[in-house]
Amino acid sequence: MGFGHRRLAIVDLSDGGAQPMTSACGRYTVTFNGEIYNYPALRAELERDGVRFRSNSDTEVLLVLYQREGEAMARRLRGMFAFAIWDTQERRIFLARDPYGIKPLYVANDGWTFRFASQVKALLAGGRISRAPEPAGLVGFHLWGSVPEPFTLYRDIRMLPAGHTMLVDSRGPHASRSYASVIEEFARGAEKPADLADLPELVRAATLDSVSAHLMADVEVGLFLSSGIDSGALLGLMKDAGQSKVTCITLAFEEFRGTDEDETFLAAQVARSYGAQHIVRTVSATEFNQDLPSIMAAMDQPSIDGINTWFVAKAAREAGLKVALSGLGGDELLAGYPSFRDIPRWVSLLRLQSAVPPVGYLTRSLLRLLGLGKLNPKLPGIAEYGGTYAGSYLLRRGLHLPFELKEVMDPEFARSGLNRLDPLRRIESASEKVPLHPISRVAALESTNYMRHQLLRDCDWAGMAQSIEIRTPLVDSVLLRALAPVAPHLKDQASGKGLLARAPRTPLPDAVISRSKTGFVVPTGQWLSRSTPATASLKGMASRAWSRQVLANFAAPMPTSLHSDVTSVPVHQTLKPKAA
Amino acid sequence: MRILALMTDAFGGYGGIAQYNRDFVAALAAAPGVEAIDVLPRIAPDTVGALPDRVTQHPARRNKLIYSLAALAAANANRPDVVLNGHLYHGPLARIIARRTGARMISQLHGTEVSHKLRKRHVAPLAHSDIVLTVSRDTLGLLRDQVLSEPDNGMVLANTVQPEFTPGDRQAARARFGLGNQSVLLSVGRLDQRERYKGHNRIIELLQALRASGRDVIYLIAGMGDDQPRLEALAARHNVSPWVRFLGKVPYKHLPDLYRAADLFVLPSTGEGFGIVFLEAMACGTPALGLAVGGAPDALGDGELGYCVTAENLPAALAKALDDPRPDPHSLHDAVQARFGQAAFRSRVASIISSLN
Repeated sequence: MGFGHRRLAIVDLSDGGAQPMTSACGRYTVTFNGEIYNYPALRAELERDGVRFRSNSDTEVLLVLYQREGEAMARRLRGMFAFAIWDTQERRIFLARDPYGIKPLYVANDGWTFRFASQVKALLAGGRISRAPEPAGLVGFHLWGSVPEPFTLYRDIRMLPAGHTMLVDSRGPHASRSYASVIEEFARGAEKPADLADLPELVRAATLDSVSAHLMADVEVGLFLSSGIDSGALLGLMKDAGQSKVTCITLAFEEFRGTDEDETFLAAQVARSYGAQHIVRTVSATEFNQDLPSIMAAMDQPSIDGINTWFVAKAAREAGLKVALSGLGGDELLAGYPSFRDIPRWVSLLRLQSAVPPVGYLTRSLLRLLGLGKLNPKLPGIAEYGGTYAGSYLLRRGLHLPFELKEVMDPEFARSGLNRLDPLRRIESASEKVPLHPISRVAALESTNYMRHQLLRDCDWAGMAQSIEIRTPLVDSVLLRALAPVAPHLKDQASGKGLLARAPRTPLPDAVISRSKTGFVVPTGQWLSRSTPATASLKGMASRAWSRQVLANFAAPMPTSLHSDVTSVPVHQTLKPKAA
Repeated sequence: MRILALMTDAFGGYGGIAQYNRDFVAALAAAPGVEAIDVLPRIAPDTVGALPDRVTQHPARRNKLIYSLAALAAANANRPDVVLNGHLYHGPLARIIARRTGARMISQLHGTEVSHKLRKRHVAPLAHSDIVLTVSRDTLGLLRDQVLSEPDNGMVLANTVQPEFTPGDRQAARARFGLGNQSVLLSVGRLDQRERYKGHNRIIELLQALRASGRDVIYLIAGMGDDQPRLEALAARHNVSPWVRFLGKVPYKHLPDLYRAADLFVLPSTGEGFGIVFLEAMACGTPALGLAVGGAPDALGDGELGYCVTAENLPAALAKALDDPRPDPHSLHDAVQARFGQAAFRSRVASIISSLN
């Protein structure tokens, strides 16, 4: 039985917050990754009940809450977290992960030993976990560009699902249990939409509340500022929440100078209008190539994204920050992506013909025959996948479509992986839980797929590698409960991003509101094109080339026997032999 | 809790799987909350003997259809809470019964049956079991390769060693098998052409070198089967025939003495689902050596109980193991009992079954 921990001290910088931390009674020990934003309120409540704390750390609150409330304590937490509590009396471990899945928690059970860690690499480093491949993980990476939960590249390592808890005792791990569901929250919101007239105030109050909560720290909290609405609104709300000094970081690229994708001009305007300190950090192709080995070493599971986060976190560290807010999640919560328009449209257009499966297959074959696949390799799949939410989502977000897999991986392995991952059924059965409104449905899809598997994972490995804690006020369970009832209005009656832009007391400048969405974009396509010129012409193609390069850095997992490299000597050789 | 156990054989059965099933049923019967266990065997060639309390064993029914009808009738009559799918091939029947009666389902995998590609109809019952018990970590891995369950339903329930395997009078044991002062290597296992993975040949091939380096070693092979002529010819080819003795099938009651007589138990097998013979040898106080392949590392405790070596290291490890001082037999026995004794087995079974409540 062992816990280990490496700390990035943010709340209670003294050794009082050191981990693993044991309760005053000695019965419980916790190791914890993340932040509990409502910790001050929880602590105050517990102190009113007579609890005396030994530290000023949110970690200690976990111990006390578990002692008093058991497994139900997970529902009381607002924040990003993955933690394990060892109960010496019951001899069991309680594990929990936050509702959105901001923090990762990987588990491995070989039938004898249960192991857990915040990274796959940490589990592999021990050398005792099989590296047998998980075809569903690899297929997932080729389909989405990141490895979808609960899978990893390895058969014996899985993610504890977001919003779940798990008990492990002498019997082994018990089935994990859901205590919070993002999908169900959107479903509840779609059932009981808010009043249209209330939307501006609702969004203002809820976002201000979340930003205020996310500012809890004993160190300065900075901001990743793009030229978009999400991060700009965060800046205004930080000011509204009373933070006088804000350091903002914006990335700039030579390649984008003077183009629409150059963030610096508008970002500077936003920073100026809120009186924030603004740092523009220019990243060159040379620096990218220099950092590439470190990026690959830090990447826990393969991902086609995360480069932006790497550099913006690097810039934040250079600026002396340990914590920064990110606008991640605004598009998912407030319908900012084109998918919110496209997916419902495709589904209503193609629903009928998708009920006749050969039509889709034949269309695909015909379009590929006509060579349209060369123009856009996903295009031939439109009739086959466009008729359902899951299929349309795959079309919209997919790196490859299932019929292309045999071209990028071993066909037998691909078949097995597709069977296990069963991507369409997996997504459709989840999205069917939000039947009432197309926008809520897409919001649920985006939040629990692209954001959870790609954006949040990238934030974690890239931020942690730079010792920067990235906080996401727009990815927050309390905010979600407040704003899920807004989503149903976001198609025709209201613009989600407009509401967000006007949430700060001083609204964002009009130039920012009217600009089309970019977010943090990195010219990896152009940087890569120097090594692979043939693939540079199309954005999608560049992603594919990049995905191959990323994957090549992950040594292909070998289906070897678990113990093939173990040679050991029995303990009896260490026992003193008695006279024969 | 009422349990319906669909097993190939248990009481009155012969061999490793029957033994495991008897141990499992007895442990279940002793677990808190278990009211009755109905065992339905396909075969029972030997005398059934006394059954544990709360256990009923139905007559053996070899015919598949008759067996299935009997199982359905027993399920209707006794309304089980848990259906025990004792063999891969009973999966579809077990699943039908579990669905009809609303019972939970536990499936058992004994080792090698998942090393080949499973048929679809055998995959679904495993995927839908509440628990799949595998005999080793390796078998659990093979299961996961072919069957995806969410949440993962696989658990390891290792073999248990029978209480009669204990250290004893070593001199008397050696005298019984006519052994002098030589170092004795011993293997126990079937000599089946389909089970050549057991690796008797690897030891025969190393014998000459061991003797040439001044060790007076002989190799005893207990077990019979159609692969014996090949092994005899191999010994002749390596000029070690005088030092390789084929004992044939040694009666079960003589096995403890045979293990005690040996200096080192060896089975460099690459295909063990678990390898109960390692446990038996070590429980008798004799050190054991196997390859770090398949289920053997479990029985060898990853090298904490026995020598667990790679195939490349086998020659050196074999020589070293012969030269190492013999461990204290009682310490070794106790270490094996602590992990694989009946008490450990029963408490594991009780905790597994309690999780279905």
